[in-house]
Amino acid sequence: MKFRCERDTLVDALTTASRAVSSRGSASAALSGVRVEAEGNRLTVVGTDLDLTVRVEIEAIGLDDGACVAPARLAADIVRSLEPGAVTFDSGDDELEISAARSRFVVRTYAVEDFPVLPEPRPDQVAIPAASLAEALRQVVRAASNDDARPLLTGVLVAGEGDGIRLVATDSYRLALRDLAGKSPLPEGTEQILVPARALTELQRLLPGAKDDSDATVGFSVGDLDATFAAAGVHLTTRLLDGKFPDYRQLIPPGYPNQLRVGKEALLDALRRVRLLVRDNTTPVRLSMRPGGVELTVVSQEVGHASEDVDADYEGEELTVAFNPSYLIDGVEAVLGDEVVLETVDATKPSTVRAPDHDDYRYLLMPVRVS
Amino acid sequence: MPDGPTPIVEGEAPGVDDCTVLHVDMDAFFAAVEVLDDPSLEGRAVIVGGTGNRGVVAACTYEARAYGIHSAMPIVVARRRCPQAVFLSGRYGRYSEMSERFHGVLRAFTPIIEPIALDEAFLDVAGSRRLFGSPPAIAGAVRDQVRADLGLHCAVGVARSKLLAKLASRAAKPVASLEGTRQGAGVVVVLPAEELPFLHRLPVGALWGVGPATGAQLDRIGVVTIGDLAAVPPDTLVRRLGTAHGLQLAALARGEDPRPVEADREARSVGHEETFAVDLHVQVDLHQHLVRMADAVSARLHEADLAGRTITVKVRYGDLSLITRSHTVATPLDASHAIGLVAGALLEAVDVAPGVRLLGVSLSGLVPAGTVARQLSFDEVGTGTEDRPRRGAWDGVEASVAAIRARYGQSAVGPATLVGPAGLTVKRRGDTQWGPRAEPVPDLSGPSDQHEGKA
Repeated sequence: MKFRCERDTLVDALTTASRAVSSRGSASAALSGVRVEAEGNRLTVVGTDLDLTVRVEIEAIGLDDGACVAPARLAADIVRSLEPGAVTFDSGDDELEISAARSRFVVRTYAVEDFPVLPEPRPDQVAIPAASLAEALRQVVRAASNDDARPLLTGVLVAGEGDGIRLVATDSYRLALRDLAGKSPLPEGTEQILVPARALTELQRLLPGAKDDSDATVGFSVGDLDATFAAAGVHLTTRLLDGKFPDYRQLIPPGYPNQLRVGKEALLDALRRVRLLVRDNTTPVRLSMRPGGVELTVVSQEVGHASEDVDADYEGEELTVAFNPSYLIDGVEAVLGDEVVLETVDATKPSTVRAPDHDDYRYLLMPVRVS
Repeated sequence: MPDGPTPIVEGEAPGVDDCTVLHVDMDAFFAAVEVLDDPSLEGRAVIVGGTGNRGVVAACTYEARAYGIHSAMPIVVARRRCPQAVFLSGRYGRYSEMSERFHGVLRAFTPIIEPIALDEAFLDVAGSRRLFGSPPAIAGAVRDQVRADLGLHCAVGVARSKLLAKLASRAAKPVASLEGTRQGAGVVVVLPAEELPFLHRLPVGALWGVGPATGAQLDRIGVVTIGDLAAVPPDTLVRRLGTAHGLQLAALARGEDPRPVEADREARSVGHEETFAVDLHVQVDLHQHLVRMADAVSARLHEADLAGRTITVKVRYGDLSLITRSHTVATPLDASHAIGLVAGALLEAVDVAPGVRLLGVSLSGLVPAGTVARQLSFDEVGTGTEDRPRRGAWDGVEASVAAIRARYGQSAVGPATLVGPAGLTVKRRGDTQWGPRAEPVPDLSGPSDQHEGKA
């Protein structure tokens, strides 16, 4: 295999594909590499940890068709460090020569046969507007769990809902739910899938580029065991989680007697300030809500205490509820618009954070019980 | 008289006033208590630690030591070496009563006491000198008082550091031989100037942190005594033993041990562990024991008003190899059911097929339970999730169980898992426990476990 390619284009491709490569040891050494294949002027770079596969296609000047498996991290680091301009890859039996200008590197490669054989990506079944998907992912993925002890909660539920689709994630302490209008991208007969949050985090990284272009779309297809997203020359394929997502509907209280309406930035600023006193993840922020405003208080045994008053509209009984400040910030940040609404039942039932006028995004949060 | 330092220093030996650390260690404690209570055992080889062939020697008289028997030795080996010995299963209630009296004697001399075990403690007597005289004089007085109050002997080591005081008390012990037991010095003082000569003569295994594995490593480079160890460049030790361990041993070999005597140390963990009568190979069997231990750990956390974030499961296989697995949760736990769930998941991931000899459960990362602000979870509302049943319901159960037990005793109620043909089995006597209000019971599973608790 031999090709020539612009340095920046190649760095992007190598880095993107490497995101799927596990930094921890894996079963096969070849999995710590990326598969680089030249076919005519089409260059394909693939990285995988068998759960997540990222495949990048770019244009290059093909000189000789073929493939090699290069050490992912090293190859990306080498190319990134080279002088700007054209970079040449030339692979032999078990070596790869990377050269540019007056630099020349020869690195050992893995056997191509040791790299898993991955199917060609399925053709897209539907196209989702990239901008709204990016927004929805930003709002929802943050609530997913990263605790491997509860594998189902490390996934994001994608389900048909009414005329659109709904994304739901929860780590059992908070739950984010977003409805997207438009046709469900799920194929006939599939009601819901559970996509690992990790894959969607990687997908988010790919999307900002597409977001600038308001007409850009993300291709999407679902198989029995996996799902593929396609955006900007990159195919991201992820294994789907197997199992039944918790029944989240029963968690949503039927109604809220108390409603706080407050400026989003003012609340966020105040939360971030009082959070400075939080030293461990069990220190909560208390919200004392009364007509006209809300007082935020953090009392940290060893450090000290802080309080801050924020103007707000409040309807309901005077009430104090405590939350993990980071969880609350996560929810408030995710709301679109200038104002947020915090709905509460009492100090131990789920609260909801949402925008004042619409509820296509809802963030349910369990309080912290303080004695 | 053991060769080495002066047993009792009279007058103003140089630096004697700096030797404010005392290590007091009862002689053959459990066995000595048995002899005290039954004078017919006087002069016989008495071994405490079980009448079966399972388990290890918890204590033995000097007459038994003459046959090469020592604590932590498997009972079956002891029986082979000295079949005529008297084997007793031990009366832990009686030992803790005597232990209470022992520590009471110590408290009369100084408030700065670091209890190490039922029969062993470090004292700092820096503030007691005006009242009771020089450290060696205090050591002698402690020894006389223990003898007077308990009718038992102890050995006292006096030095500037815990390391040397402990080694000195060992040097003060009686020495067993088949010809008869030779009385020890009772009190041994290691003066500052004598520290290195005293230390360097001892075998390297006498150092804290040198077990069989490290010992073998050191033996390979020709290190037999602590003096040999002191002569090895620290770099070499670091290369062989790793940075932390290597540097620590190098410092100990130079007699450097900065650890102060810490009174009222807060427990760092609360745990239970148990050696089984036969190795267990099946998860279900082990799980039952695990539930019982989680239940006992929870009961003690409740008593001490503590909760912990890190749950550790310890498994020792039949070949004595040891593994531990731990998990840290966001919100500190103290409930039996919750601890059991986490511990169960940890055990689930352990291969038990080779046969498990000892199982233990402990909680660390302890905080006062009252101050815990608890992040509530969706698991506590609604009907629960597929992978985790509704949890809030358990709060009520735990509270009721605690109330029932407070009134009717620990075995009045317990997890259904623990009901067998013989009824409900809760905490078992002989379980090794540590942490606050642990019924003090010897560590029957060998010295390597002591780091878990207070060592």
